[in-house]
Amino acid sequence: MKVKEKREIIERIIDLCESVRSRGLDPFDVQVKELLEKLRELFPELKKLEELYLDMRAVSGLADVILHQSEWLRHRSSVLYLDPLLITLKMQVMEPAELAEIFTKCWHPILEMESISPSVLRTGLDYWTELPPLSERGAELGGMELQTGRITEEELREMGILSEEEFSRILEEEWKKMLQNVGKRGISYWKWVCAKTFEETVRRSWIMSFLISYGYVDVEVRPLEEDIIIRPRSKPAQEAEPRTLVIPITYEEWRKHARKG
Amino acid sequence: MPEKDEVEIRQKLSRAAQLLLFKHHREPGARRWELRRALGRNYEDVIKALDAELEKLGLTVKVVKEGDSESDRFVVTFRGHPEFSEVRTFGWRIDDMAILTMTLATILARGGKVAGKEIEKILEEKFPKWRVESAIDRFIRMGYLQEDEKGVLYLGWRTRAEVDEKTLLSLLLGKEKKEETR
Repeated sequence: MKVKEKREIIERIIDLCESVRSRGLDPFDVQVKELLEKLRELFPELKKLEELYLDMRAVSGLADVILHQSEWLRHRSSVLYLDPLLITLKMQVMEPAELAEIFTKCWHPILEMESISPSVLRTGLDYWTELPPLSERGAELGGMELQTGRITEEELREMGILSEEEFSRILEEEWKKMLQNVGKRGISYWKWVCAKTFEETVRRSWIMSFLISYGYVDVEVRPLEEDIIIRPRSKPAQEAEPRTLVIPITYEEWRKHARKG
Repeated sequence: MPEKDEVEIRQKLSRAAQLLLFKHHREPGARRWELRRALGRNYEDVIKALDAELEKLGLTVKVVKEGDSESDRFVVTFRGHPEFSEVRTFGWRIDDMAILTMTLATILARGGKVAGKEIEKILEEKFPKWRVESAIDRFIRMGYLQEDEKGVLYLGWRTRAEVDEKTLLSLLLGKEKKEETR
């Protein structure tokens, strides 16, 4: 057998063991005895240190699989063992409120109280006494150039600008509206997001960015026509290879498209 | 009991209550070594006495095993469970509780760990993708879930402290347990 083939066999064994550990593959799907036999056959042919190291990793991986088999058996024989499929099916037919009520019945929340300690008070006092007066900080407060930045959905929720329910509702409404009005034929990006005011245009493009990121809308860039076509999907889907698309929304850009109507 | 001893015990009880009830770090409760350092060699007796006091209020001291025994976390939890109607006022969303229930049950039914992507796939059949992702992240931050470098999800320390795993699975399968409310 060629060196390359030997290496491939050993590497495949290592990968298989790794998938039991990381992806929760049923450890009994691994034929440990057969694979150990295979490694035993290959062992006399291994000469290089690198090959021996691979062999060692494969044996260690198989030992790990045996450990997983033992844990699996222990779990299955315990009172907690239930058919995972049965549990999943049960949960799929339950309403969120029913699931939440079940959680409440087995939940014993931790009590935790926020408190202020002398050391925190001291830190606060130090900060306050060392803070320069407003007159000295005038330039810093008034003269600072505003930098553009990113704000996440979570930050907006924390600031109270947007609640999670409201955000979900807005996205769903926009998606449904698109499905109804545009359908599979698609529409030019600017035609869809451009509104009567610049603020509304920014808002619509912001919503669109989430619909695209979550796979509810498909994007097609047409470089020759200098256009971007967006199409609502009937069911959300993720692209195999995520890509980044930057669409700047400037006031000038908005005016240009608004004039076009 | 001499008066001096009694005063000392009362002082240790208050110190133990402060350590367990007030947040000192980012996470609640106190570690075993912290209790030993603050309460002395007989810290376990002090904790037992505190537990007896807390029982009158419907609370209990729970120990969450974490690595070596010195790192065990002592926390105060509800002895029973809260009423469903009250939970709405705790700042929890119904959907979030449902997502956590499904995640924990799936992990438990599959032997203690599940690939994060797999959980997301199961949850996305019932909830919008953006809600699932943000809820999972939040539960990891809160300590209900733990994620390793490969994206595999496990039960977190907070689940082990707060959730009665057997009751959760029994209730999901419709085997009602004799209820104990707060």
